[in-house]
Amino acid sequence: MSEYDDLKTYVDIAVEHARDKIEGIIARGMISSGSQIRFSQNSIDIGKRWEELKLETFVVVEGTRVGYSERSVTSEDAARKAVDDTIAFATRLPESMFFAGVEENVHKYRDLKGAYDPRIDDFTEMAPEFVNSAIDAAISEGAKRVAGALMFSKKFTFLKSSYGPEGSSKMTSFDINIRAFQDELDHSGQGLECGTMPTQAEKGIIAAGAKAGGLSKEAIGAVQGEPGVYDLILSPTVGANVLGGIPDAANPFMVLIGFSPLGDKMGEQIAPDFVTVTDNPWIPNGLACRAFDFEGTPTQQTEIVKDGVLRSFVHNTTTAKMYETSSTGSSAMLGLGQGLKMLLPNTSNLVFDNGNHSVEELFENPKPTIYVTSNWYTRFQNYQTGEFSTIPRDAMFLIDKGEMKPIKNVRISDNTMRMFANIDAVGDDRRQIYWWEVPTPTFIPSIRIRDCRITAATQ
Amino acid sequence: MKDGKDLAEFCVEFGRDLGGDYVEARFVHGTGRGFAYRNGAPVSGGIAPSVGIGVRILVNGNMGFASFDRLDKTVATDAITAAYKMAKGAHRKERIDLGEPVSNQAKWSVDIKERISDVDIDTMMETADEMNRQMSGLAQYTMMLNPFETAKYLVTSEGTQIEGFTSYISIFCLLTAKGKTGDAQRMLDMTQCGGWERIKDGKVIEGLADEAQRLQKAADNAQKVAELMDQPIDMIVGPEVAGIIAHENVGHPSEGDRIMGREGAQAGESFWRDLDFGKSRVGSDAVTVCEDPTIPNTGGFYLYDDEGVKARKRVLIKNGVINEPLLNREFGTKFGFGSNAAARSVAYNREPIIRMANTYFEPGNHSFEELLEDVKLGVFMRTFAEWNIDDRRYQSKYSGVEAYLIRNGELTDTMVKRPVLETTSVGLLSSVDAVSKELRFDFPGTCGKSDPMQGVPVYAGGGDIRFRGIRLGGVG
Repeated sequence: MSEYDDLKTYVDIAVEHARDKIEGIIARGMISSGSQIRFSQNSIDIGKRWEELKLETFVVVEGTRVGYSERSVTSEDAARKAVDDTIAFATRLPESMFFAGVEENVHKYRDLKGAYDPRIDDFTEMAPEFVNSAIDAAISEGAKRVAGALMFSKKFTFLKSSYGPEGSSKMTSFDINIRAFQDELDHSGQGLECGTMPTQAEKGIIAAGAKAGGLSKEAIGAVQGEPGVYDLILSPTVGANVLGGIPDAANPFMVLIGFSPLGDKMGEQIAPDFVTVTDNPWIPNGLACRAFDFEGTPTQQTEIVKDGVLRSFVHNTTTAKMYETSSTGSSAMLGLGQGLKMLLPNTSNLVFDNGNHSVEELFENPKPTIYVTSNWYTRFQNYQTGEFSTIPRDAMFLIDKGEMKPIKNVRISDNTMRMFANIDAVGDDRRQIYWWEVPTPTFIPSIRIRDCRITAATQ
Repeated sequence: MKDGKDLAEFCVEFGRDLGGDYVEARFVHGTGRGFAYRNGAPVSGGIAPSVGIGVRILVNGNMGFASFDRLDKTVATDAITAAYKMAKGAHRKERIDLGEPVSNQAKWSVDIKERISDVDIDTMMETADEMNRQMSGLAQYTMMLNPFETAKYLVTSEGTQIEGFTSYISIFCLLTAKGKTGDAQRMLDMTQCGGWERIKDGKVIEGLADEAQRLQKAADNAQKVAELMDQPIDMIVGPEVAGIIAHENVGHPSEGDRIMGREGAQAGESFWRDLDFGKSRVGSDAVTVCEDPTIPNTGGFYLYDDEGVKARKRVLIKNGVINEPLLNREFGTKFGFGSNAAARSVAYNREPIIRMANTYFEPGNHSFEELLEDVKLGVFMRTFAEWNIDDRRYQSKYSGVEAYLIRNGELTDTMVKRPVLETTSVGLLSSVDAVSKELRFDFPGTCGKSDPMQGVPVYAGGGDIRFRGIRLGGVG
């Protein structure tokens, strides 16, 4: 029997074992194999390999008394014990005010084309060569030192619900984050590439290296930036973090716990009419593509922001009932700390509509404008109002009176809702962003924003 | 545990047989329970037993890592073989050297009176209800309570055999107060290290009540005090803010792997790269910042690190001068100082890397009242919300939540809305002129680093610290 057959057996056993004991169960098995090559100072630091097989069980003991567990299993008895333990735990829990049922209909699911690379097993041999090519490309473009990480994985899942739904999926993915430096600490550039077909990614991976190297060279001579109010051009990397956070918070649970600025904004114009953002679980190459959610509800495209107006949240069965609407097929088990996951709605791939301006046209702005290529460490003073700051890192440029010169050491200290409303122009260079600072895969072009507040150290 | 230990030992033998020059295996067995509440009502609960083995294998100076969650020899040998091949194919020009062999044998544990695993669910939920009641006056409050224990067994081809046991009660709250002068929000971490007795001994209930009341007070009273922007002022920060400064502006730049570029694409490098240990001044004489994993009942507690090296206190900055970096075996060898036991791995499926444990400003000899005495115009920032720092750890920002105006040597009742301390690390540390006597670890936190992310529990703290001549980055 293959590992996948084992997995399917464990899921079947879990559902059958629970069927007569409790009201219902959703069991999901996942078997995955992942690898990573990490490098710095132009050399590979470590090659890593992960092998995992997990059984997740979400049990509905009775009414709204629910519980969840996740563990590795290696035998049919272990699968039964996982169910027994989860039931024993959930039976002791009080009723949850955040559970109102799960999907109860059987569906057929769409076939996600391009989600699985059939040559993934060959990629382990190819990956070091791709990494070295990316490092070489960065150096060819002027970098002195190159660091980064290439991750790639394959994952099989099998889901079965005692309420009816059943489905399986297989996915592959890769992502590389490459950063190039000059000898100086603050002359650096970043390149990113990600997708679902690693063996077809050589060109993109090398281009990421070349981009990082080129930016690091363009950053040479960066001078201290001046605090003030500027128009900003956010690269897709920065826009995905700063602006992508708003549609990502179109989530009833985040509203309820005070983590979203969108609680009272439904139906309001929150961006210019040329801004549309969709939750799209089917977009080709999207890292968070899925045909069905954790409950077995078929996924769908959800227009969160349409023509600048907040149109929809993402929902699972529970939040859909709370909001008297339909599930958007967005149910997921989300981590809330060690030993705790919760059945909640969750975005898949966020997709901003592409604009009709070339990046060069975005630069043609009569006002002093700062082009930010990367950022990190975004933190909020208040998630509900959107006051925040974030730190540009890597190459950054001041464009003033037709001149473009590198600057450094400033901070964006503003309000995300105000920035979303002040979007001025959208580029036509949309790409998928996924890295440390952008955990939700986000397809987004470069975006120009009016009148943003820039601060710097006072001493 | 026995099967896992046996398999870990098999992994070391198998790795050596493959051709590994050094092999280590770490068997980790964790059990955790979790409870989530919103505005006092339960919203979710779960359990997550975690078992697995992580193996590092050094092949001709190249490192490979494998992990697996099924305690199965076939899975183990496949994963280790893959890691061996990846290491062998890396072809580093500069070979990784772990330095002198380490062969420690020991058992250690955090101090525990009442095992978390012996506490029943009803008791935990009753305690959670009591915790929730302390926050009930706020507009919104969300609490995640996650008690968990972890047993580790580290075995290496050099003869190290270490058994370690940790126990935490992770307590994380998101609090929102709506008041007369605006909203105030903060994330509050009250994580305890030890057994269930830490709820009482760590004064968790009292602490939650106190912090909830203080947040509501800030929402009701904090105001923009414009004159603070007109001139340089003096600032006193409490142990919570001192802790985050010790962690971000000192601890992170002291990490040896950052200094030498290994974290370049992730957490970044360090402005300490271009400085000399024992010579370069980054702060005033009043600044001594230390790191110590051996302090009982702290988030960063351990007695042997995840490479089997015996833990000790590290003095990062001594009287304003950088003194020693945080090091594991690889970077201890590169720096020529040897490891100072800073290698930590947060789970079986993560490689051990250089991490902080408990980072703090050494206490000085002032009382809080003495710090206030000759401040003509200033701010006392007790707690913070929004903060960040660049990836060289040179430019930081801390925005206050609970802050008070100091005028003519007196702490006034006037609450200052959102004072912003936005400086360079050297500018900030050079303006310290005094630290109070009382050392408190008021900042429990989870420190993130690496890729894949490793969030490790840490504590940070200090006394109250006085900064002279600060230009605020903003207020109100």
